[in-house]
Amino acid sequence: MTEAPTIYQRRIVIGAAICVAAFALVLVRLVDVTLLPSDKHRNARGFSEQVRADMLDRNGEILARDIPTEDLYARPHAFDDKAGAARDLAAATGTDPRRLTGMFTDKHPYVLVARQVTPDTHERVMHLGLPGLDFLPSAKRYYPDGRATAQVLGVTGFDDDGAMVGLTGLEMGLDDQLQDTDHPVELSIDMRVQYILAHEVEENREHFHAAQAGGIVLDVRTGEVLGMVSMPDFDPNGYDRQPGDTTHNIISQDVYELGSIFKIMSFTLATEDHTMRPDEVFKIGNGYKIGKYTIHEAEHMPAVLAARDILAQSSNIGTTQIALRSGGVRQKEFLTKMGLLGRLHTELPAARAPLYPSNWGTIETATISFGHGISVSPLTFAAAAAAVVNGGRKITPTFLKHPGDGRGEQLIKPETSEKMRELLRYVVTNGTGRKADIPGYDVGGKTGSAQKPKMNGHGYTHALITSFCAAFPIDDPRYLVFVLMDDPHGTKETGGFALAGYTAAPLAGRVISRIAPILGVPQRLTTAENVRGRP
Amino acid sequence: MIRVLNFFCVALMGLSILALYHVSERTRLAGVDLNRVNRQIAAEHATIDVLQVEWSHLASPERIATLAQSKLGLDNTATVQLSSLELLPRRGEDEAPLTSSPVRNASAVVPSPTDAAGMH
Repeated sequence: MTEAPTIYQRRIVIGAAICVAAFALVLVRLVDVTLLPSDKHRNARGFSEQVRADMLDRNGEILARDIPTEDLYARPHAFDDKAGAARDLAAATGTDPRRLTGMFTDKHPYVLVARQVTPDTHERVMHLGLPGLDFLPSAKRYYPDGRATAQVLGVTGFDDDGAMVGLTGLEMGLDDQLQDTDHPVELSIDMRVQYILAHEVEENREHFHAAQAGGIVLDVRTGEVLGMVSMPDFDPNGYDRQPGDTTHNIISQDVYELGSIFKIMSFTLATEDHTMRPDEVFKIGNGYKIGKYTIHEAEHMPAVLAARDILAQSSNIGTTQIALRSGGVRQKEFLTKMGLLGRLHTELPAARAPLYPSNWGTIETATISFGHGISVSPLTFAAAAAAVVNGGRKITPTFLKHPGDGRGEQLIKPETSEKMRELLRYVVTNGTGRKADIPGYDVGGKTGSAQKPKMNGHGYTHALITSFCAAFPIDDPRYLVFVLMDDPHGTKETGGFALAGYTAAPLAGRVISRIAPILGVPQRLTTAENVRGRP
Repeated sequence: MIRVLNFFCVALMGLSILALYHVSERTRLAGVDLNRVNRQIAAEHATIDVLQVEWSHLASPERIATLAQSKLGLDNTATVQLSSLELLPRRGEDEAPLTSSPVRNASAVVPSPTDAAGMH
């Protein structure tokens, strides 16, 4: 029989247990300090005040980043002459002197004088020699490419709680993702394409004195937007303010009657339903009567035209006859399927829903066939046109990098898509889109010239909305270029004409000729005949 | 014997206290150094961030295009000035497949010395 432990033995055991526990604690702490990663050093890149993640283009170039700045605060009770301090600080920081005077005399103990002060401003303030000023570290969102990306990236601002939030563009649409500062957001934008698009669109807008202009470059297989431009634009960094600057993006936020470019959809429907053959001849004449209305042509047309020439020469009367074979019900069903009658949801906020007649009768079927009486956003139309040429499958435009195939539901038969590509190529080689023909890149496309509706909604003005929708290389398209001009004016070189064939088609051609080599689209100058006789 | 042991234990405890104090002080100083280095690292990161943004601004396509045009007299390349591998002459062939074709004869405009006067 064993003896019970003595009081000393118990104390020794308890003391040993305490020592073991103490060493165990030391061991745990050692493991914690030496082996486990510390939260303190997790944010290796950036500074403590960084509040939003970087935005990068598809090649890793920085499009937007927080840079460290300072916010200037003041303790007004430290000023001997509050009005003088307010005046001097307002002059040094560019803020409103009345606001500062009001806050300094309102017995606020601590006042925000200016946010995001630059080093120059910091120096000016320090030279004032005022007491009671504090510079607290802060962050400012900076956009290295300035105006070129302004409309698509948008800007940030401060909410009521003083937190930085996206106000427009992708800054607003991707607000949640941008809160995670550890992971930069990779966009689908290619800065080289974006610059070329912005440069060409702005030059063209100035050349034709257009009120607004815009464009988009879309990958028809992945749905990625490689470039999007809307002019006039603005300086997102706020250094260069010009009259007429706006944050309004006409490509995604506006809806337009796009005119003849809509004939792409009318011919796709007719080809899909086999209600027309490309070589079938239609009588054109001087007008086409539907009840009390008469459909006219924008330009003089031959008495008869084959279907492919109706598209190439952009005949309203011919397209009307083709559309009426399908009828209004089928036309509406088809346009719904193509996504043209619904709001397009992308990462860009504030997209407008299309406008179309509630009563879809015969005359509406006729006018919609050539793009009047229905208003859609250029981005929505570009997505639908991409589905027409990419083998007939739906794509949803995205501004996030997404290199995989983004094509979804089959909207039209692949054979229809192939026939439409042939017709679009014919428009460029033999029709109104000749000025978009770029040697080596086999461009296919369609022009659109629509009269602008009057502000009161009754009738049309003489001003035009001209557009061109192009895809290349047309036998197996990879990219779609859509450009739009709002109220362009003809020049001496165009003989005074402002139609899309003169104003929008050459713009699309120039954009393609510059972006195609950058995007690695192989050139097809295999024979001399390919280039002979072309400009 | 027990007194020697006690003295030894007390001496050991005293030495331990001194060692602990020494280690603690070194740890405190190392902590100060660590904070200073961390602040330096953060400042360097912030500087790198700003420099990267500055680089992005300086290397933006718009600026490069403007400089290439004004300083080097370069302009956009026409598509007819580009070719493909199969159009290059093979070993032993005298002429490229497109010799005397419009593509071959397309001329790139080389800036004259006066055009490139601003080049340094």
